[in-house]
Amino acid sequence: MLAVPGAKAQERVDFERDIQPILEEHCWHCHGADEQESGLRLDLRQSMLAGGDYGQPAIVPGKPGKSYLLEVVNHLDEEMAMPPDGEKLPPEMIERLQRWIEQGAPWPGQMEKVTREKSTHWAFQPIERPTVPQVASLSPIDAFLQRRLQREGLGFSEEAIPANLIRRASIVLTGLPPTSGQIQAFERDYRQDPTTAYEELVERLLASPHFGERWAQHWLDVIRWAETNGSESNLYRKNAWIYRDYVIRSFNEDKPYDQFLREQLAGDRLGVGEATGYLVAGPHVPVATVGQEPVARRQARADRMDEILQTVGASALGLSIGCARCHNHKFDPISIRDYYAMSDVFQDIEFGSRLPELSPQHPRKMRGNVLRDELAEQRAVLRTTGPWQEDWNGYRELHFPKTKTGAVRISFQWKGARVDELEILGPRQWQKNLALARDGTQAKSVKAYEQPRGELWKINDGQYGTEAWAVKWPQDGKEKPWVEFTFSEPQVVNRIRYSSNRQDAMQTDYLEGMGRFNVSPLVVETLDAEGNWKKVFVPGRLPQLDKQHPEREPALATIQATIEKLSEEGPQPSFVGKRIEPAKSYVLQRGSPEDPRDEVHAAGLEELEGGLGLPIDASGPAKRQAFARWLTGGQHPLTARVAANRLWYHVFGSGIVATTADFGLAGSRPSHPELLDWLASELRQPKDPDVQPWSVKHLLRQMVLSRAFRQDHRPNPEAIAKDADSLWLWRFPPRRLTAEAIRDSILQASGSLDLQIGGKGYRIHNVKKRYAQWKVLDNHGPATWRRMIYQERMRRVDDQMFTAFDFPDCGQVRPQRPISTTPLQALNLLNSDFVMSQSELIAQRAMQESDQDLPEAVQRCFQLLLGRDAAEDELAGCLELARDHGLTLVCRAILNSNEFSLLQ
Amino acid sequence: MHNAERLSNQGRRLLDRRFFLGTAGLSISGMALASLLDQDGLLADDKPLTAGGKVPIRPDINPNRPYAPRPAHFEMPAKQVLVIYCPGAVSHIDTFDYKPALFQQHGKKPPGLPAVTFEGPSGNIAQPFWEFKPRGETGKMVSELLPHLAEQVDDFCFFHALTTETSAHPQGENFFNTGFTMEGFPSLGAWVTYALGTENQQLPAFVAINDPRGLARSGKNNFGNGFLPAAFQGTDFNAKHPPANLQRPGRVSAEADRQTVELLQQLNAQHLQRFPGDADLAGRIASYELAGKMQTSVPQVMDLTGETEATLKAYGVEGGSPLRGEYARNCILARRLLEQGVRVVQLFNGSDPAGGNGITNWDSHANIAKTHAMQAEIMDQPTAALISDLKQRGMLDHTLVVWATEFGRMPFLQANGTGRDHNPGAFTCFLAGAGVKPGFSYGESDDFGFKAAVHPTSVYDFNATLLHLMGLDHERLTFYHNGLERRLTNVHGHVVHDVLS
Repeated sequence: MLAVPGAKAQERVDFERDIQPILEEHCWHCHGADEQESGLRLDLRQSMLAGGDYGQPAIVPGKPGKSYLLEVVNHLDEEMAMPPDGEKLPPEMIERLQRWIEQGAPWPGQMEKVTREKSTHWAFQPIERPTVPQVASLSPIDAFLQRRLQREGLGFSEEAIPANLIRRASIVLTGLPPTSGQIQAFERDYRQDPTTAYEELVERLLASPHFGERWAQHWLDVIRWAETNGSESNLYRKNAWIYRDYVIRSFNEDKPYDQFLREQLAGDRLGVGEATGYLVAGPHVPVATVGQEPVARRQARADRMDEILQTVGASALGLSIGCARCHNHKFDPISIRDYYAMSDVFQDIEFGSRLPELSPQHPRKMRGNVLRDELAEQRAVLRTTGPWQEDWNGYRELHFPKTKTGAVRISFQWKGARVDELEILGPRQWQKNLALARDGTQAKSVKAYEQPRGELWKINDGQYGTEAWAVKWPQDGKEKPWVEFTFSEPQVVNRIRYSSNRQDAMQTDYLEGMGRFNVSPLVVETLDAEGNWKKVFVPGRLPQLDKQHPEREPALATIQATIEKLSEEGPQPSFVGKRIEPAKSYVLQRGSPEDPRDEVHAAGLEELEGGLGLPIDASGPAKRQAFARWLTGGQHPLTARVAANRLWYHVFGSGIVATTADFGLAGSRPSHPELLDWLASELRQPKDPDVQPWSVKHLLRQMVLSRAFRQDHRPNPEAIAKDADSLWLWRFPPRRLTAEAIRDSILQASGSLDLQIGGKGYRIHNVKKRYAQWKVLDNHGPATWRRMIYQERMRRVDDQMFTAFDFPDCGQVRPQRPISTTPLQALNLLNSDFVMSQSELIAQRAMQESDQDLPEAVQRCFQLLLGRDAAEDELAGCLELARDHGLTLVCRAILNSNEFSLLQ
Repeated sequence: MHNAERLSNQGRRLLDRRFFLGTAGLSISGMALASLLDQDGLLADDKPLTAGGKVPIRPDINPNRPYAPRPAHFEMPAKQVLVIYCPGAVSHIDTFDYKPALFQQHGKKPPGLPAVTFEGPSGNIAQPFWEFKPRGETGKMVSELLPHLAEQVDDFCFFHALTTETSAHPQGENFFNTGFTMEGFPSLGAWVTYALGTENQQLPAFVAINDPRGLARSGKNNFGNGFLPAAFQGTDFNAKHPPANLQRPGRVSAEADRQTVELLQQLNAQHLQRFPGDADLAGRIASYELAGKMQTSVPQVMDLTGETEATLKAYGVEGGSPLRGEYARNCILARRLLEQGVRVVQLFNGSDPAGGNGITNWDSHANIAKTHAMQAEIMDQPTAALISDLKQRGMLDHTLVVWATEFGRMPFLQANGTGRDHNPGAFTCFLAGAGVKPGFSYGESDDFGFKAAVHPTSVYDFNATLLHLMGLDHERLTFYHNGLERRLTNVHGHVVHDVLS
């Protein structure tokens, strides 16, 4: 075999004679028919072409350079050297393998093209609308359930008592218990006509604006949405809450679920820019705290991308795709190529803030227009008097009379200056920055006085943040910092905008010292026709102007007030993700950004016909829109099943597929497969043509109107013996209330619940130093008396009250909350300021509403907290405690009772 | 490759079990996940399940008594664990990892060292800022920075070739304490109490004693329950501050409080009578009884007035900086908790950088000579006293002691010429006590202490070894979350058998 290289290259390799013996002796033991280490088989040509878990083809016929087999036998990577623990193959064998691949890897009997086999797993099969068992007087849901109950020798329980029915339906649909007045009214109507009374109740609850608050909370759990970054400084994400408002509004409007997904993936194209808060819901490590090493920075970006994919996987797809980041998924048809092709969909998204794209009809947009008009009016007043300046929370804007000039010269009044961006603007295009280097404007200053990493180009690169022009002029000299901008052609200018770190003001809040604007005042000069510098803005002259023109003062005050209003009510930079120049996507060998392999392009899962039909140079939004179409269009088998199952889980406390975010092979199988497919079909395409497709309320209505939902919750010994977990729904399974429902119920009982819907949340934490932890300041005062969904969601912070009730830390996706019992819950519910102050308010209210009659007030406490009257034996004990130590302690006892915390 | 029949044997077996679980159903009432585990216990004998092909061992958790003691996977001497965690990154080359080459190369910049590290440009090699001397019978070289701990080296088992995956503090803390750099994963203490419950039902199973200056940078994540049930989170208190909401409200007298609880019991009993057979109601009643006991037992264990003068002196409660005094009290509290049978005690020596005046933890980017000395003054004597106290009381026979930090520091200085940057490539931690080989050093870093050289040991390996010492198989202690059997060690980690006694 050893011959001159030229001759050898031509020599035909014979598979059976030259190659098979090598594979047999060195490879098949671990990568053969019996065992497939790393999911790799080398005894089938087709498997070699497909590669193993790491997604690299073992051989690419004709391309030895792309054949992973050669890489590992050549020991290019010590950690992945093959054969393992043994001698390297002799060079002659390696050369033979290489030649075989060069020659197209001929393998007698295995050369036919093999098409990919499709998965037979139930969840990946198309949804077929099943035939509903025909049982008189039973709804489809009940008919499916009953069939199974009968098989188990079980049956539905009788209907629950009306007081339980209204409490159950109210809490499941709105998260709020009914008031005692509502209970009484319902009981009265129910006596007249149970069916109509209950149907009307359900319609009222579905139409309640509090419906959206309850169901938004469920959605936010899955995507672990929070208002801080997590990680080192765990900074607050400014205006992130406009996404929460969007979710609440969407559920309240019964926005079709497919549209809801489309908007969250590509709302920047659909006039609801705030919806992309979804993509950046997870935690992230900001670049500023990753350190200076490029490797660490690349890793951090890959981690952030993984957070985006986890969100999409758990909430929309119902698959855990994270495994495929390093190797093909062990069980599910998700390859490492799929993972990186999906990551390509989101390459234009980064964690951060942007001005959300809002349609002209968006309420926030319209409010912004009104406020901007007010600004323009006041500015017109000032313009006749001379220059002025405005503080825009994070940057300063200097206004001066418009002037045509080829250059602008800025002189600072302090010895040092730090400017992340200086923008020069004119009247023609109001927002166009004329100072940008990429448009040909040149900046000039003294290089010798630059601080480390404070280069001049950062002043007009269009980037806000910690990367800034930073200089110190010598203390002894008279000179002070200056910078000159020369335009490529003369421009008309009338404003300067500048800041030291505008990103902080745009992106975060509640940091000590943040409000201070720490840049020197500055003088602005322009060049006149004769080439002389002319001062157009001198800060020192402003007080004199104000004196000369008394109309300036009220105008300036109005402007400042309007700016404040704009930042709360108008379109503002918000933490809903920012757009970046998309990088190319590669399959990262074993998940490492340092080892990129084949380039991949945006796609959904190959198993589910994930091709998006996009040109290679498609824009980021186009990719995301196409991905959303793939997810929600046509016959995607997961989207509707996952959504229907999640709704079922929140209604009955357990999913038909128990693992609500894992429909893969490692997840649970559906307990009622046909029922699930009926629900999914009914969601996607309701039988009644008058019902809107993808209507969440429609599907929930079917569920809560079912006999299964309306039945009693009490155990019967026979059924418990057969089905202790009530899996087959022979009763309504009772469960503990969520943290939010407990808190909201207490506030409602005391009459102090502020029911304002939407807007910025309430705050229980301090204003902190950048690298400090958030501390709870006040988790019980009047400012916190809103529904708990509006409690500012801080990652990884114990609120010293409800964290013990399995309130999530928002670190990992939480499709289901565990329900645990711990003494910390008891201590919090017995001894916290929140419970004590609320108990007192409830007692006061009860006394007041009972004309200070104690026995009646005790009854009132039961009505307010438990929605029922006290029984004789209960009354005696309560009265005794009330007489000895006050009614407050009776309330404290009742709201610690099992009954109060139980959804039954 | 994707169909069930084309899965590896391992994968197929795992799916069999998942299918069973799916149809058998998750428990709906009460502590759903605990009940799920119960069911799994039935299956665990013959079905290999984890990605590593092992059979998970499900803790048999009674939802009514989530903290009841449970057997380990196998018999090991350690029943309790004390983790002394030093946030900020202790310099291994200035403490326990003696590198003579640093003295020879002092002030030079040999080739092969990086130009940029975490904080920026790097400077020249710097010899240790403290002298080294041989200590104990083993003659282990330890610097003058930690004279008290140095006296006990014959009891310690050092890991000198530890490596981590990040050079940022919060991610490093997460990685060390939860096995993942990202947030939201269960901590070591949560895993151990989930597996083993606890001996003393009147105290929390897992206590996080935080530094007097506040929480470390990863905050609650270092002792959180992640996606495990909230029952397994660390309870946060120290010698100065009791757990939140422990005591009855100030305006409620003891008698009134007692009567309130009596009324509560009466209401619950009446409710239970109406709805017999729902186990989770009984569990909730039990949790109130446990809370009542904690109201007495926690103040008792926090009360140090019964400690002898000699003990206070040995721990250094007086005579040092105020911070040392407070940390020393935390050390005494740690011993008292362990004496009472608390399963996991995690003791912090440092906070986030905003935690107080001046130095707050071991981070030392500038003027390491001063900052490490200040931090060592706080840590050294009380920690040494705590370990020797445990030894004298015979508690090391059944207590595993872990001294840890998230990474090491660089053998060269930063551009500022006074501080050392983060070094994820090599660092030192040590173990002591039950099941651990005393007076032993495992692994070596290279001549400069820059990279792990002999027996590189990942944090996964370290954590796998900790669990092993507690009688737990890190590959079989799992919890199903969002499609995966999660472990403290993800899919990595090998037990370091060389350090076992």
